[in-house]
Amino acid sequence: MDYGETSDVHEVHAAIQREKREPRVGLEPLSIWLIALYGLALFTGGAYLGRFSGNFSGDGLDPMGGPPPAKKGGGAQSQQQQAELSPRDRGKKIFAANCQTCHQANGLGVPSQYPPLAGSEFTTGGSKRPAMIVLKGLQGPVTVKGQKFGSAVMQPWDKTLTDQKIADVLTYERSEWGNNASPVTAEQIAALRKELANHPDSYTEPDVLAVPAEAELPGGAPAGAAPPKPGEAAKPAPSPKPQG
Amino acid sequence: MKGLVSLFIGVFGTFAFSWVGLTVIPNLQIGALNPQMDEEGTDIYPAPKSGMADRGRRIYAANGCIYCHSQQIRPDYAAADIDRVRDAGPSPRPKWAERRSAPRDYIFERPVVLGQERMGPDLANVGKAGPTEEEKPAVAPAANAPAGSPANVALPKPASGNAPPAPVQPAAANPSPAASASPNPNGLPPAYSAAWHHRHLYSPRSMSPDNRDSTMPAYKFLYEKQPISGERSADALQLTGPEAPPPGWEVVPTYDAKCLVAYLMSLDQSHPLKEVKTAAGAAPPAASPPAASAASPPAAPPKK
Amino acid sequence: MTPTADIPLKEPVISAAAGDAEQLERARIDASTRVPVLMFYASAMVWLLIGTLLAGFVSFKLHSPDWLSDVSFLTWGRLRPVHMNVMIYGWASMAAMGTAIWLMARLCRTTLRHPLLIVAGIWFWNIGVLAGVTGILMGYSTGYDWLEFPPYAAVILFVAYALIISWAVLMFRFRRGDQIYITQWYLLAAFLWFPWLYAAAQAMLFVVPVQGVMQAAVGWWYANNLLFLWLGAIALGTAYYMIPKVIGRPVYSYHLATIGFWTYALFSSWTGMQRLVDGPFPAWMITASIAATILTIIPVATVGLNHHMTMQGYFPVMRYSPTLRFTVFGAMSYTVFSIVGILISLRSTARYLHFTEASTAYTHLGLYAFFTMIMFGSMYYIVPRLVGREWRYATLIKLHFWASAYGIGLMTLMLLVGGFVQGASQNDPSLPFIESAGSVLPYLRGRTLAALLLTASHFIFAFHFGLMLFGLGRTSTVPTFLNPIEAEGSEAHL
Repeated sequence: MDYGETSDVHEVHAAIQREKREPRVGLEPLSIWLIALYGLALFTGGAYLGRFSGNFSGDGLDPMGGPPPAKKGGGAQSQQQQAELSPRDRGKKIFAANCQTCHQANGLGVPSQYPPLAGSEFTTGGSKRPAMIVLKGLQGPVTVKGQKFGSAVMQPWDKTLTDQKIADVLTYERSEWGNNASPVTAEQIAALRKELANHPDSYTEPDVLAVPAEAELPGGAPAGAAPPKPGEAAKPAPSPKPQG
Repeated sequence: MKGLVSLFIGVFGTFAFSWVGLTVIPNLQIGALNPQMDEEGTDIYPAPKSGMADRGRRIYAANGCIYCHSQQIRPDYAAADIDRVRDAGPSPRPKWAERRSAPRDYIFERPVVLGQERMGPDLANVGKAGPTEEEKPAVAPAANAPAGSPANVALPKPASGNAPPAPVQPAAANPSPAASASPNPNGLPPAYSAAWHHRHLYSPRSMSPDNRDSTMPAYKFLYEKQPISGERSADALQLTGPEAPPPGWEVVPTYDAKCLVAYLMSLDQSHPLKEVKTAAGAAPPAASPPAASAASPPAAPPKK
Repeated sequence: MTPTADIPLKEPVISAAAGDAEQLERARIDASTRVPVLMFYASAMVWLLIGTLLAGFVSFKLHSPDWLSDVSFLTWGRLRPVHMNVMIYGWASMAAMGTAIWLMARLCRTTLRHPLLIVAGIWFWNIGVLAGVTGILMGYSTGYDWLEFPPYAAVILFVAYALIISWAVLMFRFRRGDQIYITQWYLLAAFLWFPWLYAAAQAMLFVVPVQGVMQAAVGWWYANNLLFLWLGAIALGTAYYMIPKVIGRPVYSYHLATIGFWTYALFSSWTGMQRLVDGPFPAWMITASIAATILTIIPVATVGLNHHMTMQGYFPVMRYSPTLRFTVFGAMSYTVFSIVGILISLRSTARYLHFTEASTAYTHLGLYAFFTMIMFGSMYYIVPRLVGREWRYATLIKLHFWASAYGIGLMTLMLLVGGFVQGASQNDPSLPFIESAGSVLPYLRGRTLAALLLTASHFIFAFHFGLMLFGLGRTSTVPTFLNPIEAEGSEAHL
């Protein structure tokens, strides 16, 4: 404040003098329309919250999710549930999670990229060939059912899937889509895994063809759906089975 | 004083209500997650990042990458994130993701860099988009060459002359494996490889004719120009055109740049999680090499 | 008329009628708050100018990135957080604290004791912001939105805040009069909310860090709460003072004010998670924030109605009073800002607008159109009372107002439309991603134009403020009106 410039108190404090009194509040009542607006807002907000909250659980990432999913994985209970499923059903789940990407849900693959499994001589012949392929992977050109496939590489599954899982998925593949071949057990896969332990990854077609088409994994125990056949009897030349 | 007490209680109460509701309770729900392990205990996801990648994350955060790049994939019912394909790379271009992001993906991240805006693409799976070990040089060019690349239908611009598989760059310079695995028509390193990231950071607009609209800053300060002593360094950047250093000079990444690229190459959220639906199956084939046909990406459209 | 030598510098002794007692009291209060508040404003102005220049850089470099790109501390990724933090902690918080201290002193009808402690606090706060800015530029940003200052800067800010606010709260403790006016609720609440918010965020991110995505949740809870419960509360409290004060009428309804205050506190504090929509979070927390955003229509409608009915019949006063013009602009922007917020946070629109420039538009609507304009209004009211002069050039005030109004309007329009274009392009997976970046570029250039307008506006205001600070304002008993008064004895005699 530059008091030196003027001693006229009114000038110095003019701003304060002309001020109106400090603010105060009136007491007008609320409008009914405003209350209606409040109600509408509360209803909308509440409805939105109720509709889109998933299931208020930490797992509910999907806003429209339903009741909390049953706890999966780990836990004896779920393993029991798993065990109650047949090998084919378990295999179907494994197939859907791992193989379907390429081989497709109908087992027909993608032309010139991913070979079909439905009616494939590799899948339905002896169990050794498909087991080798699943365990160690396959790369390079391959001919299945007379068609050439060459560009894709199949990864080895020995590190990602257990013996039981590989056995189940092979069982599934060998009995689905019109295929009708013997199931595979976990023990067979375990034995094969040991046999191939020192083999570097990835077979190529010549490697697989070197194994006889009818070679079954030792210790096979045919069950249920597949037509009974002698353990290691040679089958007729691998002709494509009629596919469904 | 009566008014003051009720005011204080109300003020504190509303604060506490929102604090508890939005931070404490969610923290109880998702703040103590463990990585997912399979029955054998061999497959653990996610894993904390190693030293260089971890430092790279801090560099990523400190240089403001989060203001233009996100690292979260939205679910398919919310947006088209999963099915989006990257702008670079051989056809079929890698998709942005196999599945949406889940809280478990981020448990070892500090700071978490979810990002807020997308001036640039999402980076959650950019490490996965890089060339992988399995892409042996023998396979890809053989598949590519005879096709005469009608495969490049998917590219928005025709590849200039379907460049020969052999790379244009000096042989010793590319640190990433299989330099010729995914030949890039413009003489660039294979898409999303370490060399590609370095070049992109150094000079974003020189990546391809498509990238002139990119407004990414050039992080030249993460690189050093030095005279070539004897032989070119193994990690010198391959630069062409106006960005190339004068003859006798090379551009090398600093340690920070290497850490940042190591971090980017480590970004991969494709590992399946039990709590999240995977769009195309749990473990997609490790190397989907360039298709000889113009087929769309292999996965059948997922049923919702 | 008393001789010059007898007028003391601190407490003028004037022989005046009893009815002038209120005026004397105000004069005393203003004299006590003079130094701290002017220092707050001066610091805030400097940060505003720095922040505005940074805004220009940031905006320009987003569409023309090759300018000055080789220097590490000028890279866009570091300048952007520096701009945000300078604006929030440098300009906004300091202007807010300056205004709040003056308002508290006036409303509590008590002088500010020990103003030098507040001055010390101001210095510490400035040092804290400077330390934080330097940290970010050197490459030590924490990476958390709105919390990029390295932790040492946060500590300094806490110390500064303790020095400043303890005295403001003490004024409240020693207030005179029984009624606690609306503004005091907002200010007191804001004074308490800020340290709790800041402490909670710092604790949950650095001291006892939360895991994984919870860091982002804590960060955005903090950011939205800072905007609403700290800056927004002070702005609303200021509007509740300035509007009735300038026009001389009481606020329309106490009930509306009460409901508005409590619903504001309750619902605004729950927003924040909508910035993470469809992210890796449980859906309920995102939806809770969206629902809370929808429910903020309640305080918006209530406060808006309250102000509107208070102003009813007095809108022409905006033609003359700078304070009223800025404040009413800000109060109306609060409504617009909230409605935009509701619209962009619904899941159906977020599909197109998430990850686009639309969220920048929303933030700037809140921080500039709402908060900053109200602060400008309060500065136009308070500064003459502290320096004993009136604003010198009405033209400069008018230029300031229109440049700011058009600037923020253009910016909001550009970013909302640009955001929509960007989002539509992003959502089309058949387009390469670079298309979306390209599609938003023209709007970013338009935004730079808006930044130029805002830069001009702020420099004009800073110049004008500087004149006042150095005693070069107009000596007059009549305030600076924006337009000449037409009629004798009209309501515009302020």
